[in-house]
Formats: sequence, structure tokens, C-alpha cells
Amino acid sequence: MSTRPEYTPIDAASRWPLLLLLVKGIGWLVVAGILSLTASIQLHTPGFLSGCPLFTYGRTAAMAETAFVYGWLGNAGLALALWTLGRLAGEPLRAQSWALGGAVFWNLAVFGAVVGIAVGDATGFELLGLPRYVHLLMFFSYASVAVSGLLAWSGRLRQVSYASQWYAAAALFLFPWILSIAHVMLFTAPVRGVLQPIVAGWYAQSAWTLWLAPLALGAAYYVVPRVTGRVLPSYEFAALGFWCLIFVGGLTGGRHLLGGPVPAWIPSLAVVSCALLLFHTFIVLLNLRGAFTGSGTALKFISFGLAAYVLGALADALTSLHGVALHTQFTYFDEAQKQLALYGAASTLLIGAIYFALPRITGKAWFSAGLVRAHLVLTVVGILLLLVSLLGAHAVQSQGLLDAAVPFADIVRDSRPWLLAASFAQMILLFGSIAFLANFYTTACEILLVSEPAVFQAPAAQETHAA
Amino acid sequence: MKSNAVFFIGLFAALALSWAGIVLGSNAQLGALAPFYDETDATAYPQWMPGAAARGQLVYRDLGCYACHTQQVRRPGFGSDQARGWGDRQSVARDYIYQPAPQLGWSRVGPDLANLGDRKPSAPDAEDLLHLLYAGSDGMPPYRFLFERRHIGTGAQPSLDALKLTGTLEPPAGWEVVPSARAESLVAYLLSLRTTYTYPEAVPFSPPKAQAPASVGGAK
Repeated sequence: MSTRPEYTPIDAASRWPLLLLLVKGIGWLVVAGILSLTASIQLHTPGFLSGCPLFTYGRTAAMAETAFVYGWLGNAGLALALWTLGRLAGEPLRAQSWALGGAVFWNLAVFGAVVGIAVGDATGFELLGLPRYVHLLMFFSYASVAVSGLLAWSGRLRQVSYASQWYAAAALFLFPWILSIAHVMLFTAPVRGVLQPIVAGWYAQSAWTLWLAPLALGAAYYVVPRVTGRVLPSYEFAALGFWCLIFVGGLTGGRHLLGGPVPAWIPSLAVVSCALLLFHTFIVLLNLRGAFTGSGTALKFISFGLAAYVLGALADALTSLHGVALHTQFTYFDEAQKQLALYGAASTLLIGAIYFALPRITGKAWFSAGLVRAHLVLTVVGILLLLVSLLGAHAVQSQGLLDAAVPFADIVRDSRPWLLAASFAQMILLFGSIAFLANFYTTACEILLVSEPAVFQAPAAQETHAA
Repeated sequence: MKSNAVFFIGLFAALALSWAGIVLGSNAQLGALAPFYDETDATAYPQWMPGAAARGQLVYRDLGCYACHTQQVRRPGFGSDQARGWGDRQSVARDYIYQPAPQLGWSRVGPDLANLGDRKPSAPDAEDLLHLLYAGSDGMPPYRFLFERRHIGTGAQPSLDALKLTGTLEPPAGWEVVPSARAESLVAYLLSLRTTYTYPEAVPFSPPKAQAPASVGGAK
């Protein structure tokens, strides 16, 4: 047993909340995939499902976004945050029943939100389509899961902490604050007029920079050095990169309001802070660059996600500029950017970390190497095709919108082929997610079939199967 | 990072900074924005939305219309908003102070609606909008569930509200299509969207003749 490089009783003792969060998360990924495909079809074939009030385009798109962000990214991100914090604390997770209970209620809340949007209770804000009545449940269930992670953070055996712990702890701590502030200012005591979109924009940006991005980066910061077996290069800058994201990130949301009926300093502030945020992105790239040279499924996903993260930050900085926004604002470019961040960056970073984590949580290698490969290929091809087709649709739409002589019907007609390609990409991504779910489910169920406790195998042996 | 207290205080300070900066900052600037009293007209603008329109705004939101339509006209020189007849002037914060749920939107799959009731060269009327909602168009889905297709009783007169439909949409003899209350309030809302009054802060900026458009940014 001298080959055992990692200490696993910690994982074995804290596997149930993690497995529950992960299986729910991947389940939501498939649901979000079906809804995104529906919404995408409705863009080029407006009549699709138009007879059914539950599935107007606005509702389908909001449901897809909610299932993706709160169902998939929320669950998977929470699971990996608990996992890394628990492992780095050096002892089994505490307050596991809080995490389990929180996970159950979080998923009930997401389910309630998706059904609520279908019957017309969406709030109409981007990334905050959640009907107002689920906010309280989301707040408490998230906080309940976070208790377990924050106990692991504060009770860690080594006093020194690592970058992955900062990112995970920050995400666990900050999200309930952001949600509750947005809830109070938009629903309990709503602010007037255009202040509502300003608050909603602040929420959406904070949800990305203070919640989703830290969840994904925390997982990547943990997995990359484990797999490459090397200390992160330029690690001494990691703290600077972290604080740069936390302090500057929330200020970048104003770029979406450029030219709108809001004070002009809000988009101007976004230009400056988007440029500053590139500093954070550069440090992340510097720290995690080992992912590009490593091998194995986990690192392939993570390097793709890292590239998408960097590209997304560059696109944010560029589109915050007045001259560029003239061409990109209100077009499919925004959608492409959103997909790049949420699917291209956050999701692939989390998926990579799940490929690394699951064999260690269950003590079983991935059930099917073929499904792993299929998932990797389908995800990469799907995301690239989705981005290219949305950019193509953007080119048509942007040119048409700027030229007042082009009627809307022409823009719709000319962007249709590109939107068809986008639907095809959504279908590819959906197949990938189904492969992922099937593989995950069979692997996770294996531990139910054996009565003896899981025996840890050397990671090398497991990854040869997975890779 | 060894100290838990410093770490969490730092996180909290960062959140407080962006919240105070963006949310409280803009609230201090716009939170007390009052209507503008025009002494010539002896009226204060903007005016309250009629009740039917306020109900319609909720229908607009609940159907998710904001996913494809914006309601913000950008200033002349920034995009083709003015050239498309969407509005003579840019939208300003004062336009929205009486709207319970402003729908600025973020995507222009369809046209902007901020000034639909006064669109140039010709604004649609209720009949046009109801027909569009029922029939749909190239880029817009039909919303038939907002209408009732019902039998005209023997000897009864057809409803005055019945849609005048032709071609394949025409209902069989003895049947009619009438808008539901939701459709009526949605249309009342859409027609109430008019930014005809020009506030002092919204005076259209006309760039000096024969000058590069790059200097437009200085006009805010």
C-alpha cells in the first residue's frame, strides 16, 4: 500500500453530499441542454411550440439559463468547493447533514424556479429570472451547504491556505449576500425606474465574478497541480490575482448598459475595470499554464476552459469600448460571450475537475472510457460550433441593424442558416451531456453494489482508463 | 492568507465597494428624480401609465417579450435607432420613473419598442398589434393562446372586438376570434410606450456638419 499517494478516508467519509450535488448538477445540465435546444430552434423557427404558453421563447430561454446556472453550475460548483475545502482541511467534512439537507432544498428551489418561469413568474432580469418566491429558499439552502465548506475552511489543519481554498471559500461566502441584496432592492423595497436594471446588472456581474468564476477557478487551482505533479508556476502572484477579481470584478457589469438611459459613468467605470481585470486573467493563465502541457481527460477539459476564460475576459474588455459596442450591443455577440463564459469557461473547468474527483470520491474508475472520450469530443466540437455560428449570426445582424435601410425581415432571413447551425451545436452539446450523465450515473452506482468500503487505487491506474 | 478574519473582512469590503459604488452611487444620483413640470403645458411629464397599460407591462414580462425586444433608444449617432424611426431622441432615466417594472431588455432580435406608440413614419394601432400577435411574422412567433376562438351563437351578432382575419387565418363561418383581456392589456401597454416629450436632458445632439463621427462621444 505504499503506492497510495493520497489520503482517501476523507473522501470516503464525505462522499454522500458530494455525490448528491454532482448527480443533481449533471441532471440539470441535461435539462438545460434540452431547454437550450428548444430556445435555439425557436430563434430560427418562431412557430415552434408557439401554441403552448409554457414555452414562449422568452420563457424557454429564461428556463434554460436558470437550469444551467443554478441547477448545473450551482450544484457542481458547490460539490467541488466542498470537496477541495474538505481535502485541504485534512479531515472529513463536518456538518454533512447540513450539506445534504441544503442540497435537497437547493434543488427543490431550482425546480420551483424553472416551473415558475414556465407559468409566467419570471422576473425579467438577466441571470436572475428566478421567480421571487424561491429566493428565500435558495438563500437558506445555499447557506446551509456553505456551512459545511466554511467549517472546513476555518477548521483546516494547516494554517496556511491555498488559492483553491480562497476561491471556493469566497464563492461560498459571497453568493447569499449578493442574492439577498438583489432581492431586497428589486422586490422587497424595489428601487425606481432604471435603477432596477442597474441593480440587476450589478447582480448578474457579481454572480459571475464573485460566485461562478471563483467556483470554477477554485476547482481548477486544485486539480492542475495535482495532475501535473508540480507546484504552480508564479504562485506568489496568485493572491494578487484573487483579490483583483474580488475587488474589481463586480464593477465591470456596466458595459451592458452602454448608451442606455443610465448615468454615463457606469459604463465608463466598466471600461476601466474590465481592463484592470485582465491583470487577474493574466495571473490565472500564468499559474495554470501547466494545464496546456499535461495529459489526461481532466486537464484537456481544464485547458479548454482556461483558454475560454482568457478569451472571454478579452472579449469583455473589448466590447466595453464604445466603438466595439456599437457593433456588438444587443446582438448575438452578447449571447456568444455568455455561452463562452458559462459553457466554454466555467462548465469545462468544472467538468475537468469532476473527471478528476469522481474516481477519488467513489474509489471506482470511470465506467466507460468511450463515453469519456465521446463527452470530450462532443463538448469541444459543440462549443466551438456554437460560438462560430453565433458569431456568424452576429455578423449578419450587426450589419443589418446598423443600416437603417435593411428591414428586420431581411436580418431574420439572412441569419437563419447560422441559427440553424447553432441549434445543431446545441444538439451536439446535449448528446455530450447525456453521455456524461450516463457515465457518471453508472460509475457512482457501482459503489452501491459492493458492501465493502471503497479501496483506493493509485490515480495513475484510474486515469489510464479515463484518458 | 493566514487570518480568517482578515480574509472575510476583505471579501466583505470588496462586495460593499462594488455595491456602494454602483448601486448606491446611481441611487444617490437618480433615486430622487422628479417628473419634469412643463409650465407651458401646465403638465408634469412623464405621466402615469393607465391601469390597463400597467397590467400589460406584467403580461409583457410574464411572456418574456424582453428576450427579443429592447426598450431603450440610443442617442443619435450611436447605432441606427433614430434612422429606423424608433425615436427622435435618446431614452433618459426620467422616461422610466413611473414604470413599475422597466423592461430595458438586452437583445434586438426584434425592433426596439421604447417609443412604439409614436414610431415614425407610421405608428401601429391596436388592430395592427392584435393582428401581429395573432398571426406572427417572419421573425416573431404567433401568440394565439392570447385569443379566444369562439362560436357565434345563432342569431347573435359577431363581437365588435373580433379580429378581421383573411386568407388561411380566417375562421370558418359562424366562428370568430376575439382577444383575451391579457391581449388587450398587452396592446394597451405597447401603445402607451411613447417618449414624445423632450426633456431638457434629452435634447437630441446633432453633430456639427462635415465632421468625423468619432467626436460624438463628447456630447453626453
